[in-house]
Amino acid sequence: MNRKRALISDAFKVKRFRNETQKFGAVSKGDGPTDIRSTLETLMTLFPRKLFNDSLPQIVMKHQLYSIHNDKTLVDKELNKLREQGELLMFQLGFDADAFGLVFSSDYKAKVLAGEDGRATRATVEKFLEKLPSPCTELSFSKDKMLKEFRFTDSEITQLVKSGVLTVRDAGSWWLSIPNSGKFTKYFIQGRKAVLNMVKKSKYSEVLKTELEERRTTSHVKFQMKYHIHDIVGAELVESIPTTSGTLLRCVDS
Amino acid sequence: MLGFLTARQAGVDDPLRLRRAESTRRVLSLKLNPDRDVDRIHGNGINTIDIEAVEGRYMLSGGADGVIVIYDLENYSRKLQYTCKAVCTVGRSSRYVHKFSVETVQWYPYDTGMFVSSSFDKTMKVWDTETLKPAEVFEFEGNVYSHHLSPIARKHSLIAVGTTDPKIQLCDLKSGSRIHVLQGHRAEILSVRWSPRYDHILATASADSKVKVWDVRRASGSLFTLDQHNGDKSKASSEAVNMAHNGRVNGLCFTADGLYLLTTGTDDRMRLWNSATGENTLVNYGKVCNESRKRLQFTVSRGCSPEFVFVPCGSSVAVYALHTGELVTMLRGHYNNVDCCEFHPDYQELYTGGKDCNILAWVPAPRAPDVEEESKSANQAAADLSSVNPAFQDAWSSDED
Repeated sequence: MNRKRALISDAFKVKRFRNETQKFGAVSKGDGPTDIRSTLETLMTLFPRKLFNDSLPQIVMKHQLYSIHNDKTLVDKELNKLREQGELLMFQLGFDADAFGLVFSSDYKAKVLAGEDGRATRATVEKFLEKLPSPCTELSFSKDKMLKEFRFTDSEITQLVKSGVLTVRDAGSWWLSIPNSGKFTKYFIQGRKAVLNMVKKSKYSEVLKTELEERRTTSHVKFQMKYHIHDIVGAELVESIPTTSGTLLRCVDS
Repeated sequence: MLGFLTARQAGVDDPLRLRRAESTRRVLSLKLNPDRDVDRIHGNGINTIDIEAVEGRYMLSGGADGVIVIYDLENYSRKLQYTCKAVCTVGRSSRYVHKFSVETVQWYPYDTGMFVSSSFDKTMKVWDTETLKPAEVFEFEGNVYSHHLSPIARKHSLIAVGTTDPKIQLCDLKSGSRIHVLQGHRAEILSVRWSPRYDHILATASADSKVKVWDVRRASGSLFTLDQHNGDKSKASSEAVNMAHNGRVNGLCFTADGLYLLTTGTDDRMRLWNSATGENTLVNYGKVCNESRKRLQFTVSRGCSPEFVFVPCGSSVAVYALHTGELVTMLRGHYNNVDCCEFHPDYQELYTGGKDCNILAWVPAPRAPDVEEESKSANQAAADLSSVNPAFQDAWSSDED
């Protein structure tokens, strides 16, 4: 038995279960090797493409992954790895300092170019997408970067902002953004508020997750219920409590 | 656990490993014990606790009514049930008591003959424990949020004081002078902490969202300011430069070896920093609820293999693993907000104080007795009238059986 290099913390993974109260709720998300990429793909299927007439790439929020995997630091590390490999792009969506949207880069490039079809700004946008460093780890660009590194003129920058690829951050710097994502943000915030209200209005401000998934959605909730539930659990707007009848979501009153 | 014991016996493992394994096991089983209690003296909330570093026997607590109490934590009564008695109190009737709430108390690091307390009545008093009279009083212009004496300093005896003034004052215990001032912050200083590794390194946290690390021997400004984005200018908005948190920073704690620094802020985040380079290690603890307008006293375990952080979160204490950021457990027991917590390294116990005027002692749960021991104790119970801790019993017998 090779115990020589075992960590002390590993020895207590089993002990902890015996000492603590039984973990019930049948919500074991599997302690196998965390495959962030497959989780991302499953979450992306929840994104409603028809709603935007296929003009937007599939967007997943970073904190939605926290609701599926327990170890947040590990999720962050894996996401950074994917971004460094150039497969994933992260965007600052603007409504919350911590809310980051994730899009696969191939998806993003395809949708942006498809959206620019037949427009005057197409050439500039193509040039920008080519110039974008392949593993793009930055969320925003400052003016001198645009002028010197990418060699864009002022009028070209204006064209990029018009086409939606860049959004104004403050005087002289821009966020990288997804064109036509305004609708997405609007529906997202609306839906999040509506789902949170549904939880708040329930008796004792708590509801079982499975019950919430089956509830009829009002006209305010445009996305799938599961998408919103992952969002509110991951952003810790509700407490997720394991019970004998499944996971319970309870409103966090501050 | 038997595996660790046999390995230690055979010499396969280092002796430290068994000690660490047992400490970790004890910390993972912390819970409230009906046999352990702390005397209830305070009539108002408890703001701060400190356990002395020399023996770990005496505990100081400072309350919102200005009262300071000293407790004896050692159990010499040979009984399982023990209430930590208050040895002496600086109560409301004392001539020298603080007028308003006591925010920080700290024992003199080398012996229990002296302790220092600072309060919202804009004074910091250095007390003589024997007579309970202040040997020295330092007065300030604003409320004193926090003070700290270096636990390892031999060459200096400076007390760093954080007040509503953006300048950090260093008061010298030996001479009583306070001319040494550290400038750099722009808003009130909520917390100050000396490094347990180097006696000249000081970290300070302020309401302007910045955390600065200073070398007190240098004449120029701070060594560096902690930046949550590690210099990546693209992540933050351009005004928010070099900020450790997106809100007021109100808690600071070094790990026992001084290599890492933990900070908590009112943006509900806790961050772990490399204290030598100031780099954010990007460990994600999730939402650490923090609404405190004053200093938040939290603590890190010592001597365990994955170290644990104990943070007061509302009316419970959250226990996180230090380097992975996962929430291990929530310790629930207080009736109102928890304000302070302190870890006793020798016994792996946690003492927490809060607005409900209680100090709770969280003790590692005792092991469940084995089946054979149970039948033996049933026989012995008839013989003994009082349940004496088997460790105190005379186990020596004259014949070999």
